[in-house]
Amino acid sequence: MIDPADHLVVDCDWHYADTFTQVAPYMPEPWKTKFPKSGFGDTGVRQNLSAFFPASTGNRFNYGKIEREFSEYPDGGDTKADVLEGMDHLDIDKTLQISHLILAMGGISADDRRVEAFVKGYIEYMLEEVLDPDEGIYGLAPMPYHDIDASMDILDRVEDEEAFVGVVMVTAGASPPLGNRKYDPIYERCEEMDYPVVYHTGGSGLDDYVRAGYQDMIETHTLGFLEANMSQIVSVACQGVPEKFPDLDIVFMESGVTYIPGLVCRINEEYLKRSEEAPLLEKKPGDYITDFYFGTQPLEVSARPDLLEICFDMVGTENLLYASDYPHWDFDSPSIITDLPMLDDEDRKNILGRNAVEAFGL
Amino acid sequence: MSAENRVEVGPAAEFEDGDAELVQVGRVEVGVIKANGEFHALRNQCPHDGGPVCKGEVEPRLVGEWGGSGERVEQHYDDDQQIISCPWHGWSFDVETGEHIGDDRYAIPKYDVVVEDGTVYVKGE
Repeated sequence: MIDPADHLVVDCDWHYADTFTQVAPYMPEPWKTKFPKSGFGDTGVRQNLSAFFPASTGNRFNYGKIEREFSEYPDGGDTKADVLEGMDHLDIDKTLQISHLILAMGGISADDRRVEAFVKGYIEYMLEEVLDPDEGIYGLAPMPYHDIDASMDILDRVEDEEAFVGVVMVTAGASPPLGNRKYDPIYERCEEMDYPVVYHTGGSGLDDYVRAGYQDMIETHTLGFLEANMSQIVSVACQGVPEKFPDLDIVFMESGVTYIPGLVCRINEEYLKRSEEAPLLEKKPGDYITDFYFGTQPLEVSARPDLLEICFDMVGTENLLYASDYPHWDFDSPSIITDLPMLDDEDRKNILGRNAVEAFGL
Repeated sequence: MSAENRVEVGPAAEFEDGDAELVQVGRVEVGVIKANGEFHALRNQCPHDGGPVCKGEVEPRLVGEWGGSGERVEQHYDDDQQIISCPWHGWSFDVETGEHIGDDRYAIPKYDVVVEDGTVYVKGE
């Protein structure tokens, strides 16, 4: 076993617990002015409106036993010092920050200007207040993919910023799904910029998108995040994104690893029966999927060790990226990787840091 | 192909493009298929589930071409590549090579075909 403190650890999925109050001053007008007048602080609905009458099964703290500083998020909010403290706590050398609030973007359909305004403000805020490559704090730029032009503006903005090393596409709620040709310009530009595309599941429409009527978080969290990622993987693979953009690095985050072999087997089985419906593919769709990178969190350590070993073999330890998801309630410490008995130390070091250095050019 | 181990299929003139005629060759059934004016013979047994693959439709392969970023993938039939699809589950094979169009690790055994004096013969095992 290796000690994470002695080796490079890159956390590919740190959720910066941002707040609208923090980001609003950096938003373009009229949002910069509208937000403080919105009465958000007095009347805005909070996720944690009530833990007894929760507004959503996405509420992490329903009757919860989790005690942490940010239990009130999104009313809390990180600072750069919080990130550094957390990195020190987890023995993490470099982190890729993802906006917490952006995870709801897929649920916004009435007015996509809000997403664009938030992302533009978020990027300026993060550059000004939080990101610091010298301290190992990097960012992933959210793509307001409802609007391709806005997404291209974001890419132009961050292109020369060392602190941003890739983009994030929220998988929950994306419609049409993210293999659609609509998104080609984003992929083309990211490929040119050598920016990996990180697909990240999210909580948008958590109570609707798998099974309306679920009653507790354990139900939606078991399948909801998983379904959001799986549906986008199918679209991205079958529509030939890896063939169209062969140098684009594709990363899927935050659904663990045990679903991957099942999905690969199923999609390959479909492909043998319906090959002509995916005419851009030069090989089975599962062969593209196992070339993607996958974040490990939340790693299913309760799985049978032999199953977990098959999953790692199928994806390849060179394609696995350690991710903490910190400070979210189900975060994984680096020990989740160092304690895995079927890995050798080189595999552990690769998953903990080296693979991410290569993928993100850190 | 020696005359001893070949099986007569029938007059070549009776085959239209896309036709397949089944003949017994030793212990197996073989489909003799005419596609793009050429004759091919494949075992009538899908490697997937044993289905009668040579009873399936013979047609040009549908292929896609991507014009560039944001463009639709345009699909058209490639007349140079004829495929046959098993009627049971749709597994499709290149008529010329017998290989599955999506995964060439799967292939239907091929047999030699010859047309002599207007008659089609397939070589036995």
